[in-house]
Amino acid sequence: MDFGSPRSHAPQALRPLLLALSDPRSAASYDESGWDSLIPVARTARLLGVLAHRVYEHVDRSTLPERVQRHLDAGLTEARYRRQKTLFLLHTITPALSGHAGPWVLLKGAAYVAQDRPLGRGRLPTDVDLMVPRASLDGVEHALKSAGWVFEKTEEYDQHYYRAWSHELPPMVAAGQSMELDLHHTILPPIGRIKPDTARLFSDAMPVAGTAFHVLCPHDQLLHAIVHLVHDSDFIGRLRDLVDIDAMFRALPLTDADARAALIERARLHDMEKPLRMAAMLCRGWFETPGCEELISDTVTAGDSFFYGERVITLANRVLGPANALDGSERSRRRAGKLLEARSHWLRMPPWLLAYHTASKGVRSLAQWATKRQGAATG
Amino acid sequence: MRIAEIPEQLLFHRLSTEGVGIDFGSARARVKTNLPACAASIRTVYGGYFADDPSGMFDVTVDLRRVRGIRAYVRPQCQLLCDGIVDQEPFPLDTSLPLLEWGTNYSLATRLYCYLLLHAGVVERGGRAIVMPAMPGSGKSTLTAALTLRGFRLLSDEFGVVRLRDARLLRMLRPLALKNESIDVIQRFEPTAVLGRRFPKTRKGTVAHLAPQPSHVDARQEVASPALVVFPRFDPAASVELHPVQKARAFARLAVNSFNCEALGPQAFEALSQLVAESSCWQLRYGDLNGAIKALRELLDEAKQVDGPGLLSDKREAVRW
Repeated sequence: MDFGSPRSHAPQALRPLLLALSDPRSAASYDESGWDSLIPVARTARLLGVLAHRVYEHVDRSTLPERVQRHLDAGLTEARYRRQKTLFLLHTITPALSGHAGPWVLLKGAAYVAQDRPLGRGRLPTDVDLMVPRASLDGVEHALKSAGWVFEKTEEYDQHYYRAWSHELPPMVAAGQSMELDLHHTILPPIGRIKPDTARLFSDAMPVAGTAFHVLCPHDQLLHAIVHLVHDSDFIGRLRDLVDIDAMFRALPLTDADARAALIERARLHDMEKPLRMAAMLCRGWFETPGCEELISDTVTAGDSFFYGERVITLANRVLGPANALDGSERSRRRAGKLLEARSHWLRMPPWLLAYHTASKGVRSLAQWATKRQGAATG
Repeated sequence: MRIAEIPEQLLFHRLSTEGVGIDFGSARARVKTNLPACAASIRTVYGGYFADDPSGMFDVTVDLRRVRGIRAYVRPQCQLLCDGIVDQEPFPLDTSLPLLEWGTNYSLATRLYCYLLLHAGVVERGGRAIVMPAMPGSGKSTLTAALTLRGFRLLSDEFGVVRLRDARLLRMLRPLALKNESIDVIQRFEPTAVLGRRFPKTRKGTVAHLAPQPSHVDARQEVASPALVVFPRFDPAASVELHPVQKARAFARLAVNSFNCEALGPQAFEALSQLVAESSCWQLRYGDLNGAIKALRELLDEAKQVDGPGLLSDKREAVRW
């Protein structure tokens, strides 16, 4: 795969990493000092395994300095371990799911691992996202509880928040599992500003051979990765999500006019044309992903909007990278982070709920503080 | 040039600008600080190490700095940046060295997937190693320190570094952290031992660091073959008691106490099997350091090669339980 060369939107300190990801052959010419600045940045961005995978595909491992090899190997070792943990989790929950109406759809990292997609190689998943039909949700939840899974957040408000307004239940953990399990019934909060066609997500899902699980169809996988980053996150330190999107654009390939048209049509179905356009703008700026230019002009009718336009991209460019490879003053980055955080909350829920949620959080933290003080005074 | 030989002012200048490279044997760190007190501590406990050129590739860059902000006027603190990232809580300003040591250990434990890292003290004599897995309060550090002051060479106190391809033990020479009563015990045991200053009230009580001897630093590349696995337990009432430990049990205890055995998977399993197969495994209860050292010396001489080298059949037997 050819990854092109990175453009100017990324911070200076991040360029070597982007270049090495885009054009792994270029890494062959680095000396130890070059690697010394590259590897810590890749590790912090949680991209060391991906970097190692891409470099080893194009460069003879034995030509690299030994100290470099062992850190790249470390990235692969950790990725292999997490992959193993993911497959182990899927294996152990399968019996609990049987008897509950499917399809049981794996999302994001777990899907890439189960399918063994090239973009999953070297990734470091920390949780497994599983989506089941709304009608099966209660049954699956109880079955998982009987199998030893418990909620990490047990506070009543948290439970209520997730159940009433979220697209997933609170994260679940189980003894002997090092991964969290997030149980979804759709991919975005049902009260948010984007309303995906959940029925189509399920009906077009595809089975993964040799497993009891399904994954979203390729377009939906890509669109999910996109809304997860540009709609449902604050962008802070999320470069690895953009790396996934870039890889999926290239795999499509986005340069193909028919493939592009089909993707845009699918995005319209899910009310995701603006996020798609914004993802293309980000990928163009960071990776020069082929086909982004065309996609941006194809979606010109969607236009630039306040929440998915240049202004947001300017802010996102400041905070996307890992904390040890950022440009600009800390103050400007913190300001950008705050604004993006506010944006993601605004997009996630209607204003009345946001006000209620914020107030409720405030009251609870005040109450906690008071209890703690009282405890300290009497204890 | 050894760090102790560099004038204090110059060392501080180097630490506060491009940093100083320090080689622990199986890992190298680039150390930086802009705190004069920390530089002085480094000069004592790392005195025997060589100050390497800080350019090139390092396994980690650690940078100890003062925390800025309004809070600093009320309660001055220091923080450690590992490769530019703060991932530990700040410490009070006057306990900078413990933070540096602790943070460096943590970062090495989470980065070095190229070796099996046991949580164990390791010393060697004549190329044959004694691996002492740590249980909190076992007196592992005290015994390791005492052994290195009596003719054994320190390979590591915190990390037992095992080479995956052949289960040889490598060096991870770091200052040896002594806690609470151990500090006086070791100072009395060997009055010439070089100890850094004491840091009271850290999260592990009072801590002081034993500086590795220059002769131990000089043998950077040496490897040792496994000979003894000893689980020490300090018991003031006991004199010296040795009990054999089943190999399967020793394997399990080493594996659970390791930093990365699970993540390394089959490679670690094979290496650890070989290590245990080649070692003779013992539980040691001791109330007296001199007695314990004498017993371990005899045990090491006796252990020769009766239990190894690890043939495949031998290995399988060692891990079945």
